[in-house]
This record gives sequence, structure tokens and C-alpha cells, in this order.
Amino acid sequence: MGINFAANKVLASIPYLLGGVWITLQITVLALALSTVLGILLSLLRVYGKGIFHRFSLIYSRLMRSLPLLVILFMLYFLGSEIIDIPAYWAIVLALAFHSAAYQSEIFRGAIQSISKGQMEAALALGMSKYQGIFSVILPQALRRAIPYWANEATIVLKDSSLAYALGVTELMRRGEYVSARTSQPMLTYIIVGLIYLILTYAFTKSMNRIEYKVRIPGLER
Amino acid sequence: MPKPILRIENLYKKFRDTEVLKGLSLTVYEGEVVVIIGPSGTGKSTLLRCINRLTEPDSGDIYLEEQKIEPGKSNFSQIRQQIGMVFQDFNLFNHLTAVQNVAIGPIKVKKMDKKKAYDLAMKELERVGMAEKAGNYPAELSGGQKQRVAIARALAMDPKIMLFDEPTSALDPELIGEVLEVMKDLANAGMTMMVVSHEMGFAREAADRIVFLEDGVVAEEGSPEKIFNNPERERTREFISKIARLNSGGDDRGLNNK
Amino acid sequence: MMEHIEYFIYIWPDLFKGLIVSLQLSVGALLLGLAIGLPMALMRTYGRGLVKTLAVMYIELIRGTPMIVQLFLIYYGLPDMGILLDRLPAAIIALGINSSAYQAEYFRGAILSIDEGQGLAAQALGMTKQQAIVNIILPQALRLVLPPWSNEVIYMVKYTSVAFLIAVPELMARGKMLISKTFKPLETLFWVGVIYVIVLSIIAKIVDMVEKKLAIPGFQMSREDY
Repeated sequence: MGINFAANKVLASIPYLLGGVWITLQITVLALALSTVLGILLSLLRVYGKGIFHRFSLIYSRLMRSLPLLVILFMLYFLGSEIIDIPAYWAIVLALAFHSAAYQSEIFRGAIQSISKGQMEAALALGMSKYQGIFSVILPQALRRAIPYWANEATIVLKDSSLAYALGVTELMRRGEYVSARTSQPMLTYIIVGLIYLILTYAFTKSMNRIEYKVRIPGLER
Repeated sequence: MPKPILRIENLYKKFRDTEVLKGLSLTVYEGEVVVIIGPSGTGKSTLLRCINRLTEPDSGDIYLEEQKIEPGKSNFSQIRQQIGMVFQDFNLFNHLTAVQNVAIGPIKVKKMDKKKAYDLAMKELERVGMAEKAGNYPAELSGGQKQRVAIARALAMDPKIMLFDEPTSALDPELIGEVLEVMKDLANAGMTMMVVSHEMGFAREAADRIVFLEDGVVAEEGSPEKIFNNPERERTREFISKIARLNSGGDDRGLNNK
Repeated sequence: MMEHIEYFIYIWPDLFKGLIVSLQLSVGALLLGLAIGLPMALMRTYGRGLVKTLAVMYIELIRGTPMIVQLFLIYYGLPDMGILLDRLPAAIIALGINSSAYQAEYFRGAILSIDEGQGLAAQALGMTKQQAIVNIILPQALRLVLPPWSNEVIYMVKYTSVAFLIAVPELMARGKMLISKTFKPLETLFWVGVIYVIVLSIIAKIVDMVEKKLAIPGFQMSREDY
């Protein structure tokens, strides 16, 4: 009886939780947009860059993949106390972006390198510049190949957005904690929070599958 | 006096420790069809790739119609445009349809108007007999069809010379014929061609000159009659008869006279 | 310069204790993950009906939700059902369960990528399906799974920092505590970062060596596939 009453309180908080979904999605989409652009750039530097450009990309990737997201997050956040003020919301967006860009650079690098050398050779033989070859021939194919791995990384970003909790940003996870504390029903609350994330990741994966299908190159089976 | 389209002087190329081209010199004249034969690993492909600089030679000079080919010079892209290349593995752009493959060169490199480029592309596709597959992607085409589109793609750039790097070696036997037909038509139309191939039938019918490459230099060259029937050197004769026996359509009739 | 070194020497003992806890968490979670993950992979690959469905649900549920949700469920939620866990065990269990789902998929991927002919040849020799799996498939799968699995090791060591959120005194938590004490956030975080980078580089090297020793020539999955 007491359980039912408490359960009702949790269920009543669902709209509040869903408000957090909106913030979560904002953070995720922003972080993905930034990290994808950065990731592609880094991969190009890594594959085609010479000297310092190549090395920068390599070091960035190794460094960012050796640091926990929380460390990066706090570093960005505390930069505010010394150099520039970074609000918590942007700290999590940037932390997610910088961190994910490192993994994405590896994904895109793998995809670019999996395109056969002959493609670039044919482009050059026609008189295209290397730049034209990269953007007109290599990248259109490489990006398609990267989609499944990118989609996987994107769901990781979505899930990692929950670490915004550490900075008190009121996205889904933090709101879950409030509800759990207010209703004293952690089990039920977190199950619901978990289900919401599950729906989000499922929906995202399904959309990525559809996109992959739509941009596929006819005749090529993966 | 036919004018020289391509002049190769003293080409040297070393891979790791193996010297593949050892001072090779060769001139190809306008309208000539030169077929290059020789044992594997003697640098036949390397030779072609050095011409359009897909591979950098160690030393030597190559001239396209009196213009020295030098990467880094402002006219380099222009020179590459005038040299058409057909690869053993086709290397069609997988994400583009046949007509897009043929049109992309003119659009991106010659900055041609899109409509003009597509009209030109369709014309070239018709020339190789692939017009009805214009909207298909490479993965939907057979090997022979892919190679024909690849030829159209090179032709669309209006080259002065066409280089063929073992164009039929990656094809199933029954598909070889359609590609050779297109190449023969091209030869008859007066295109200057340099072909690396094992297809003796094609060499016999279409070649003006056969060049036998061995040990990184031109070991022997001459008309098909001479090379097939009366080669000067022993090694040439050995090679010809070996190839002829391996070739389904080949024969070494002429050599039985010895 | 000297003061930075002095600061490091000052905070090192605390950080070191935190590092030990992080490593304990990692080892515990990885082993737990292996113990659950491998059976789950087999259940999903070879199982049928209820067995397979359970495995699929387990794996997809865990992979579809954030680590922190699982952690809070176990540490804050289980007491609701009468199961009270200390922080460290709760963290190991949560991290372990989380890891098990991903490890299950790595194993499944490795098993699936083994040529069907291997199993057929084994059965043609008269082996039962079980014998084929244990003697032929799994030994190859375990080699194939090394690159993604070693990725998981690296991932895990980094992810133990999440335990900080339930106040487990691992490396990240120690760093945070020191910040509150010394008011030197950036410096402290710098050293925390340095420790993570060094430890992970060492682990990466070890993992590389192990991979090379166990590798069958010509038979590898690319690490970047994951």
C-alpha cells in the first residue's frame, strides 16, 4: 500500500524527467556536431597530413583516449576558476566533444584507409588535385563506411551525457537523482530513467540504420 | 614524319633493393599503338605509372609533346589530363554512377559546365557501348562493363595518349573480348596508345609496334610480324612461346619455323 | 617549477592510494565481466528460445543505458529490496555487469567471424556440437577477441572514475578531495591526468605484448573495428 503511494509519486515526476530528456538531447547533439567535424579534420590530418600536423592528430588522439571523461570534464570546468569562465552546460558539451572527437578520428581514419589506393590513383590520373581526390572521391565513400561505427560512438556520447550529473546540470540523470531523493524510491526511479535512456538509444540506433540504408551505394553489400 | 607524343629518356626506378627500371628509353609517336610485353616484375606497370607520376622515378626525363613532365610545376595537372590511364582493377569511383564517373573529370578538373559534361559523358559511354548502363553503379556492373566505363572516363578528358595497364588481366575470360573490341576501335580511330598486356591476339591485330621489356630496359622492339615470327633475341622467342602456350587464343605458329 | 614538483610529491601518497583502488575496481570488474560475458555470448550465439531471448535482453538493456544509471541502481536502488552493498563492492558489481554486456558482444563478434567451415569440419570428424565449440571455435575466438578485449581493459581503467560519483575513493575521487583541500584544481587535475595517461600507456604496452605473443599469424581483427 505504501509502495503504491510512493510509486505514484515517481510516476507523477515523469514529465519532470522528460524535461531532462530535452537537455540531454541538446547536449548530445551539440557535442556530436562539434566532435564529428573535429573528428573528420583530425582523421584527415592523420592520414594526409605531414610532419607536425600528423603528429598533432596522433598525440591528440592518444591523449584524449587515455583520459577519463570526468577528468576532461573537470579540467574544462575548472579552467573557469583560472582563465575563462566555462559554464557547466558548456563544460559537458565541450568535454564530450573533445573526448569523442579522439575516438571518431580513429573511426574515420580506419574508414579512409580502408578505401583502396586505386581510387585516389584514378582521381589523380584524371588530373584532380589531392584535395579534390579527398573530398570528391575518398570522403564520400569513407563516410558511408564509417556510419555503423560512428552510430555506435554517438550512442556512447548520448549515454556519457549522463556524467553532466557531476556538474549539477539538470539533464535527465540529475533530475532522476532529484526525483529519487524526493520520493525515496531510487529503485523505481532509476529503472524509469534507465528505460528512458533505453528508448533514446534504441530510437537513435534505428534512425541511423535507416540513414545508412538511404545513403548506401547500390550493389555494394557490406 | 609523325610527331612524337611521348618521349621517355633514361628512366631509373628502384623499389627497396630491386632496380626495376634501369635506364629505359622509349618514344611513342602520334597514332601509334605500342604494346609492351615482358616477364612479370620487369617494370611494365612501373613504366606506365612513372609517366603520369603515380610512381616517382628515381631519375630520367619524360616529355609529353616536348613539355617536360615535372610534378610541382603549375602545368602538372594539365599534363595529367592529357594522359589517360586505364587500370587493371578499373578503379571506378564506387559512389558514383557510370555517367557520373565519366563526367566528374570534366566537371572537377576542366571546370566544364555540368550539362555539357553529362552530354559529353553520355557520348563517351555510347562510344564504348555502355550508354544504357549510365545510371548504374560500378558494383552493379560486370568486370568487362566496368573496364569499358573506365575507358570512357579516361577518354572524356580528351587525352593525347592512353595508357592501359594490363586492362584485361582482372577479367573473366568471356569478358575480355568486349574490352579488346573497344580498344581496337580506339586504335583504328587513331588514338595514341601504350598498352601493357599479355593478350597476344590484340597485339598481333592492333599493335604498330611491340616492345619487349626485360631487365629494366627495352630488350627488343619491332613490328608484330617481326617479334612474333622472327625475333632477334633468344629470350624474346622464349617469352613469346611461353605466353602463346598459356593464352587460350594464342598460338606460336610463326615460331614453329625455327 | 620546483613548487610544482613539491606539490606533486605532496599529493602523490593520496593519489597513489586512489590509483590502487582504481586498479582493484578494474581487475574485479573485468573478471566479473568475463565470467558473465562469455556465457552470455554463448547463450546468445548458440542458444535458442528463452535462453537466447534472456541473453539478448540482458545485453541490450545494459548496453542501452548509461553506466551511472546502473551504478546508482545497484548502490541506491538495491537497498530498497533489502540488499545493502558497500561502495566498493557495489562499484565492482556495477562496473562488472556493465562490462559483461560489452564483452559478450565482443565474444559474439569473434565467434561469428569464425568461418562456418570450422564447425562443419569438426562435426565431420565426429565431434559433438559442444566439443566443436570448446575445442575448435573458442580457442580461435579467444585469439580473435584480443584486440577489442584489450580495448575493454583500457576503457575499464578509465571508466572506474565513475565510481567517484558514489564516493569510492579511487583516483578521480582522491583528486577531487585534494582540490577541496588545496584549492588548486588545475594543478591537481593535471597530475591526475598524467597518472592516468602513464598508467594507461603502460597497460596498452602490456596488452600489445600479450597480443603479439598469443597471435596466430594472419588471424586478427583490427582493433579499430571496435
